[in-house]
Amino acid sequence: MQESVPQLIEIFRVLDNHQVEFIVVGGVCAVLHGAPITTFDLDLVHSRTPENLNCLLNALIDLKASYRGHSKRIQPDVKLLASPGHHLLITRFGPLDFLGTIEKGLGYSDLIRNSEKIHIENLGVRILSLEYLIEIKEVASREKDRLTLPVLKHTLKEREKNKKA
Amino acid sequence: MDTPPRLILYSEEDRPAYSEDGVDLTLIRWMLTFTPTERLNILQQNMISINRLKNAGIRAATHRNFPRS
Repeated sequence: MQESVPQLIEIFRVLDNHQVEFIVVGGVCAVLHGAPITTFDLDLVHSRTPENLNCLLNALIDLKASYRGHSKRIQPDVKLLASPGHHLLITRFGPLDFLGTIEKGLGYSDLIRNSEKIHIENLGVRILSLEYLIEIKEVASREKDRLTLPVLKHTLKEREKNKKA
Repeated sequence: MDTPPRLILYSEEDRPAYSEDGVDLTLIRWMLTFTPTERLNILQQNMISINRLKNAGIRAATHRNFPRS
């Protein structure tokens, strides 16, 4: 049965099983840094190397992924996933978005140097640094991105205070 | 008429509860006490709760518009 909210840990587990390289961006990334916000989007930027695209495709087959909002079931393939576009998918664990690139055309290879690896349960998950997430949200033109900015900036400040204390 | 009592207990020694731009700093401090796994679980529970409320609202509206009797 398809879930209407993403089952976050289950999705991360399947991606880990298939050794998919990705970076968590957006609202879930903000929450993992400690920002008290709610989101329904799981946004991931994937590496578009041929090896990773194969791993990703296998993971998406495992997740029974197809593109959301189409009357006909369209399944992702390597050619589609290699594009810089956004792949808005529905899976057996709920909605999941894979993004080839984000603001300013930044892809996985650009973002990795501004990311960090954290542990969720026993899984290693790469997320965008909070500083860089703020930088990206600042240049974003969408109103919804700008709305979360004050919370992200204060989360960073409070985190810095905790480090000093 | 007297001013209603403030709902936030506050003393001068406390760190401010809100930032000047209105962000609830107590929520941020609370979230920062958790591990990433715990934060993800909080988000997951929020998602499920909001979805349940949304579905309950849809059911209530449907019942209002199409009562069985």
